[in-house]
Amino acid sequence: MPPPPDPRAVFLNIPYDEGFHGLYVAYIVGLFQLGLVPHLASEIVGGDRRLNRIIQLIQSCRYSIHDLSRVELSSSPSAAPRSNMPLELGMTITWQILNPDQHTWFVGESEPYRLQRSASDLNGTDPNIHSGTAEGVLRELRNAFPRDKMPSVPDMLAVYRFVNGFLDAILYKNGTSNPFDRSVFMELCWISKTLADLIRHSKPEVQEL
Amino acid sequence: MPKSVHITAPWPTQEEIEKLFPISKARKKELQALVDEFKAQLSRREDASVTPIAAEKRRKRASAA
Repeated sequence: MPPPPDPRAVFLNIPYDEGFHGLYVAYIVGLFQLGLVPHLASEIVGGDRRLNRIIQLIQSCRYSIHDLSRVELSSSPSAAPRSNMPLELGMTITWQILNPDQHTWFVGESEPYRLQRSASDLNGTDPNIHSGTAEGVLRELRNAFPRDKMPSVPDMLAVYRFVNGFLDAILYKNGTSNPFDRSVFMELCWISKTLADLIRHSKPEVQEL
Repeated sequence: MPKSVHITAPWPTQEEIEKLFPISKARKKELQALVDEFKAQLSRREDASVTPIAAEKRRKRASAA
């Protein structure tokens, strides 16, 4: 058996594509604002098979979010369906069924009822509908992970806009155009965490549950 | 699966985050400049929306944090 999961760790199963950059930043910023710590498959290093590393990462995280909003046919001429995210959700569900106290998963979607068409086996699961917007992601994170002293959506949005506004500069400094790159992810985490602390300490009047 | 989970775990510390996501000292200094810029923006936004006395109190709280 692997060691118990980190109670603040959230595995992010998201599409690594250009149309998702903004929502990716929103997930990172939003999770830190709620005292949680995002983890991505791209952050793990090592020569082990990628699938094994992903399983280990899922096992080490108490929560996971599977954003299926971009599960669609790719735009390339061969138009293959994008199966990585449903595959990783399937692995997570299996892990959770075998270890119900060790893991809780959530599904993100952009539209109501889309999940019923793309993955009808998940009927009965209430996805978190973010409408494809950063504000929607932040709202749904607050809905999924309520806690004492959580910031308001406008405060979360202000941090998101600030961090997202510097994404190009962070990419440039890391010599990449890929925001999912490990070094960029780590810097986004560092700045998001620091700004989350700043908001939390400057707003003692934030909502108590 | 539940629709929501109430989080009770303690807030992560800066030390924990720096261990999980190590970045160089030089880069951290550059990122800290961005944080300071946000801090200034936050302060200006609050100053515009509250009375001078409340703004001063907030500034003191932020600098003490």
